[in-house]
Amino acid sequence: MSEALVASPPPLAGGGRGEGWRLLRAWRRDSVFYLFAIPFAALTIVFGLWPIVLSVITSFTASASALKPVPVYVGLANYAAILRDPVFFASLGLTLLYAVLAVAANLGVALAYALLLDSPPLAGGRGFFKLAMFLPVVTPDVAGYVVWRWLYDQSFGALNAFLHLAGLPAFGGVASPATAMLAVLVAELWHHAGFYAVIFLANLAICERALEEAADIDGARTWQKFLYVVLPQLRPAIVINLVYALIQFLKTFTVVVVMTKGGPSGATNFLSYYAYQFFDQARYGEATAMATVLFAIVLLVATTVYALGERRRA
Amino acid sequence: MKRILAYAVAVVASVFFLYPYLWMLVSSFRTTAAVLRDPLRLWPERFDLSGFASILQMGDLSLLRATVNSLAITGASTALAVLATALGAYAMTRCPRALAFRLLRYGFLMTMMYPYMLLVIPVYIVVYKLGLLGGYSGIVLFLAVGPIQFFLFEQFFRTLPAEVIEAATIDGAGEAAILFRVVLPMARPVVATVAIITFLLNWAQWFPVLVISTDSDTWTLPVALLNVNGELGTNFQGIMALAVVTTIPVALLFLAAQRQVMQGMTEGAVKG
Amino acid sequence: MRMSSLPRRGLLTGLLAAPLAAHGQAAQQLTVWHDLGDNGTKWFAAVSAEFAKSHPGVTLRATSYPTDQWFGRVVGALNTDTAPDLIFNNYERVIRIAAQTGKVMDLKDVLAGIADKAFLSEDDLRVATYDGRMIILPVQRVQMGFGVRKSWLDRVGEPFPATWEDTMRVAQKFRDGHPDGDPGSKVFAFGLEAAQPRDLIHMLDLFIFGAGLRNTLIDPQGNIVVDEPQHARVLEEFLKTYTTYRFVSPDTINYSFGEMYQVIEGGKAGMFRVGDWNVGKWDGPAVLGGDFVVGAWPKFFADRQNGVVIGGMRGIAVPENSPHKDLAIAFAGFMLTQPAQQASLAMMGAAVRKDLDVAGLSPRQQAFARPAWALHAYDFPESIHPFYPQLEAAYHRKLLEAIARPPADWQPFIAATAQEMRVLGKQLAEKKI
Repeated sequence: MSEALVASPPPLAGGGRGEGWRLLRAWRRDSVFYLFAIPFAALTIVFGLWPIVLSVITSFTASASALKPVPVYVGLANYAAILRDPVFFASLGLTLLYAVLAVAANLGVALAYALLLDSPPLAGGRGFFKLAMFLPVVTPDVAGYVVWRWLYDQSFGALNAFLHLAGLPAFGGVASPATAMLAVLVAELWHHAGFYAVIFLANLAICERALEEAADIDGARTWQKFLYVVLPQLRPAIVINLVYALIQFLKTFTVVVVMTKGGPSGATNFLSYYAYQFFDQARYGEATAMATVLFAIVLLVATTVYALGERRRA
Repeated sequence: MKRILAYAVAVVASVFFLYPYLWMLVSSFRTTAAVLRDPLRLWPERFDLSGFASILQMGDLSLLRATVNSLAITGASTALAVLATALGAYAMTRCPRALAFRLLRYGFLMTMMYPYMLLVIPVYIVVYKLGLLGGYSGIVLFLAVGPIQFFLFEQFFRTLPAEVIEAATIDGAGEAAILFRVVLPMARPVVATVAIITFLLNWAQWFPVLVISTDSDTWTLPVALLNVNGELGTNFQGIMALAVVTTIPVALLFLAAQRQVMQGMTEGAVKG
Repeated sequence: MRMSSLPRRGLLTGLLAAPLAAHGQAAQQLTVWHDLGDNGTKWFAAVSAEFAKSHPGVTLRATSYPTDQWFGRVVGALNTDTAPDLIFNNYERVIRIAAQTGKVMDLKDVLAGIADKAFLSEDDLRVATYDGRMIILPVQRVQMGFGVRKSWLDRVGEPFPATWEDTMRVAQKFRDGHPDGDPGSKVFAFGLEAAQPRDLIHMLDLFIFGAGLRNTLIDPQGNIVVDEPQHARVLEEFLKTYTTYRFVSPDTINYSFGEMYQVIEGGKAGMFRVGDWNVGKWDGPAVLGGDFVVGAWPKFFADRQNGVVIGGMRGIAVPENSPHKDLAIAFAGFMLTQPAQQASLAMMGAAVRKDLDVAGLSPRQQAFARPAWALHAYDFPESIHPFYPQLEAAYHRKLLEAIARPPADWQPFIAATAQEMRVLGKQLAEKKI
């Protein structure tokens, strides 16, 4: 950490009057930074925080009056209502389970693939592989998931047609409650893994080869090299990706809307989607209460990880 | 040999990544009946352009207009995002102990954690109160903040060598001069990376466009895609065709830029 | 590369601003929000062209949104006084808007002021009124019939099925007999949907009302009808269609209308819902080429007439805070006139007027326009019971569970489900009062 990078007051001119000047100059120095941060702060507060505050406020109103000019406040009634709902708990469980699995799968695959692409044996053709991996990331998710929906189809899907040709058993895809979550996970992996891999690759690009070579000379084995030399240097990318992926997968929404509508029979009824359905029933109070609960969970998980990542840095 | 194995794995992975896109491309030239009959085809039986023809004009939105909107909105929001986030992240890494900044960082993180799809009505109300409904401005402003931009800038600014700043300070440069004449030139590779990633991500955004637009004049390509599927009928070919059209510009951008981005990051490391 | 986007943006907004500004200075422009897609927008354009003849300088801007987005947009707009001039949708959806915002105008007096309205029956007006207010002017009576692939019937040597027994026999032949003439392909007897409550329960509604029964889940007095003998029989056959009989694709449990259409239009389903709005497209060469017959839903009971279901009533509504209210009201009334209704029939396949010219329509479209079959109107339970959406969602969950994991014996399941619905219905009714 570059301590000197942090703005610190310049050396004293001397004497009591210098003390005042020092503080003034310190504030003037800092105020420039406040100025720099104004656009960012304004955007974050106005377009990020304000809608959330409005939404949280809605969670304390009665649904029927939620959007009227003068809403009726009912305290924690909406929260009590959702806590009485067994489907809410089922949904919460599914969401947490899926998030853990998806984050592990995405980061694992992304890291492995980034390491592979970065390794010496793969010197040529790297550009092509990177493009291939990133193309799903830039494909509009709506379209991508429509395609996956059809790839998984039991009767008309390419996946099962292929498995049939290869003599393998059919995959239940999104038609069976047992396999639906896996099917959704794979489709999301297809769409997101490339993004995380790019972040890993960018981090790998600034890793110091010298350390790895030194380890080679010392006779370190591949996994030792990986664990003690490469991995520590990847901390920035790991923290970024971990926080980002946790946030992303706890909020899983679009893939459910396009592929499963929460089904089959609630197998992929994640919280974002379940809450969204309440909008259709005009139960705004309960929908925003669920959203706030989800928000609180994401907040807790993500800031914990972020803080852990930060602390170990220093 | 290790090399063959490495290539084999990379090729299999690439097939996994590319196949759905190929399927999309091929399907855009086939009829629904053909697709259902023979899903594994790698090449269309005949090049049926009716899917593409049907998306040239979608209701009162022309494909051209949607593309122009996409370019304008994504371009503007990218420029604004890079500027605002770079300044903000720089300021926050220079004074990490300032209370206001600590609060801002947490506030910012929080905004990324709320399930956005449930914010339709609040966002509409907020934008309405600002008088920015319809038109580009509301959408551009909404898209100008994103987590990945912030994280990348923050990480980069933290790893800036202190000597550079010290040297500039000793030379008597003010903070503004330090930022614009010393730090930003060094940050060029990160700026490029963030700009490109922001562009690629914002291109696919549909939520703010749909909420803030008052009519289809400001709709972008992804919104048009969402709207093709109506309750009264579905245009499968059209969806595939539109998906292809929506993806191609960003795919090309990525292809052109990825070498530069990776190079930029490496150069940054060598200099540092 | 990034720097060049700034001047480009300036140029573009400049270029675009000019024509937009010019447009703003023209005479009045009305806005209408609907969810009918391209066809709907084209129809509004045709109607507004006619309207402009008597109201020169008035144009109409119609914007279509995906249905769930339409809800959020309309509610937000009405509540923030940024409403469009007009909104157009199904009766039950406008009900939700009215309930949510309380800002949908009562058009009773407007209708009273229209002379030419004899074609609107008492039933029609009932499905335009909510809570004592006329929230829409009914513009399109939407019919949904039972369609069967003609060439498939010919190939298996069956006529259009009349009773449920006939239907089952035909379905079995479709399932097992390669009715599309291609032994290698996979086809299904029925093309249905199930994913959302309004997908699955809507399909059930069609079978129930089509068979001549009233009410699918709850009757106007608040009694659950699920386990009444005739209702239970239809429900059991319906659920078996999705499961034991293997009449539908196993993926149907996830299908919404998009996927259902793809299966039907892809030629993989033998029997399916045909809406009056589908006929235009499905008669065309690119899709089914008119290779289907439409008729009444299967007859289940000797003492009940089967028929085609009037599944919806679409209408035009005027928000209280409509920017050009008087003009909007005039336009709403105009939608009941001959030219507007003729365009509606031609482009959307549905209308309310009975005196329209059908000569230019295809035989199947004419069958809808001049129905020779019995018509059974859906009962729109949400107009009577405010808690209906929640009850329906719970019912949908139960039925989906049964489809995913079919019970060995359906009768106990139906009885148990009916009981649960009774308990839930009572709780909901009491909470709301």
